Amino acid sequence: MQSPTETSPRADEARHEPGSFRDPESRVFYSGGNVYRALSQDGLDDFKALQETKLFERFTADGRLVQTKLLDSTAGLPQELLVKDCAGVLEHERIPFVSYPYEWTFSMLQDAALLQLDLNLAALEEGLILKDSTPYNVQFIGSKPVFVDIGSFERLRDGEPWVGYRQFCMLYLYPLMLQAVKGVEFHSWLRGCINGITPAQMRGVCSFRDRFRKGFYLNVFLHSKLEAKHADRGKEVKSEVKKAGFKKELIVANVKRMRKTVGSLTWDPPEGVWVAYGERNSYSDVDAERKDEFVREVVTSQPWGLTWDIGANNGRYSRIAAEGSKNVLAVDADQGPVELLYRTLRDEGDQQILTLTMNLADPTPNLGWRGLERKDMAGRGKPDLVLALALIHHIAIAANVPVAEFVAWLASLETALVIEFPTREDPMVKKLLGPKREGLHPDYERVNFERVLADAFDVERRERSQSGTRLLYFARPKGSGSPIDLTQPEG
Amino acid sequence: MDLLAYLDPGSGSMILQIIAGGAAAVAVTAKLYWNRILKFLRIRKDDETAEPQPTDSA
Repeated sequence: MQSPTETSPRADEARHEPGSFRDPESRVFYSGGNVYRALSQDGLDDFKALQETKLFERFTADGRLVQTKLLDSTAGLPQELLVKDCAGVLEHERIPFVSYPYEWTFSMLQDAALLQLDLNLAALEEGLILKDSTPYNVQFIGSKPVFVDIGSFERLRDGEPWVGYRQFCMLYLYPLMLQAVKGVEFHSWLRGCINGITPAQMRGVCSFRDRFRKGFYLNVFLHSKLEAKHADRGKEVKSEVKKAGFKKELIVANVKRMRKTVGSLTWDPPEGVWVAYGERNSYSDVDAERKDEFVREVVTSQPWGLTWDIGANNGRYSRIAAEGSKNVLAVDADQGPVELLYRTLRDEGDQQILTLTMNLADPTPNLGWRGLERKDMAGRGKPDLVLALALIHHIAIAANVPVAEFVAWLASLETALVIEFPTREDPMVKKLLGPKREGLHPDYERVNFERVLADAFDVERRERSQSGTRLLYFARPKGSGSPIDLTQPEG
Repeated sequence: MDLLAYLDPGSGSMILQIIAGGAAAVAVTAKLYWNRILKFLRIRKDDETAEPQPTDSA
């Protein structure tokens, strides 16, 4: 269904994409570091129809449709990975890092939804339709949404409705409504259920007055009522609908109406400490500049492929990381600053920094059929460099993950690391320790941290802030750097 | 030959699209219910509206 990352583990290995098997007409596989899609005869006919459209040229040219070419021959490809009766194979552009809707901010899901609808409208104009409506078919290159499932386009058949309407509601519309109108972030629901929110469930969280909000009566209230009423009449209804002459104009009207509804939904991050964190964090400007410099020196010291900025907040260091990295992931548990960062990057047209919201103390697990369809972070591409700035105290104190455990996880990524350690005297650490019982978190202490860090990494550099309460370290995986002696006073 | 999409469009969801289609839907809605009336009055037999049944792969 989606494309893999350039840095997938064993990227050269020939294998199927385990998340691509639900559509029998097309299946994604990898070979020699490239991404391919094997098509059945119907799938190939659909692709040829797509290839002749203006939309294919237009959306591919502006990067909203994944770059795709039909191969002349399948010779040289692993034949065991081709679908049964394979009629043709497509080669796709690689996506730098695959992400999932439960890691996106509100505007990211909304932009993906609008791309899905715009593509569907353009397809309908030229006699095609998107056969499904799943956000897993959209990926982000930096802040740019790209539709990756070429196999979703098919020729429109007479009398058929918009088959993907229900799925669109469940995976796009209801999650957006939930967050925009009910103030409930959609992430845990989408992560908890790969099919999204059903009409009945969405109806269940709505109040009487919600039926007067734009798009709610039809898409939620009436939809769930009709679904309950006609639950067992699938074949009969399909036949009735066809007999009544379901026309393309009807689908176009519905997609256009849906576009208006989706476009009208808004969500803004709450005013709070985190939103303005960059401006009023707890260390002085001199220290902020020194920290910028430390990070800049590391990221520009050599070319880096993928850098993860974990605990990215407003993205200040993600931007610095982008100066020396091919791609950057800016990850933060707090959706607010990530949403604002995404909006800024989108306005700038950035295609390098991918913003994601995820709690690192409860990270994205392997999900879906056999736990293989959706992967955890490292399963989608290990980083070459990790920035963990102003993060460890949140993980160790607020989330109760022992310091050694956190450092062991970082070491398991086998990556270079820039990490910041705020001491127990730091105002933010004091604030986090404040409500806790006296004597808790004895492991959160500088000497212990440095011992644990030096056990797992070769620490090459250490620097203390002018305020004295924060220390920065640069380390490489054990055995690959030139370690300094951390028991000596810092320079 | 009618090929069924790999997704189940949902019966309620299909009917909703007809109701929600606005001006574009008026004729289709009228026809849908007119066919039901004919069927109810037994002017049209069930098998006249029946389609060859595709295999359900959803």
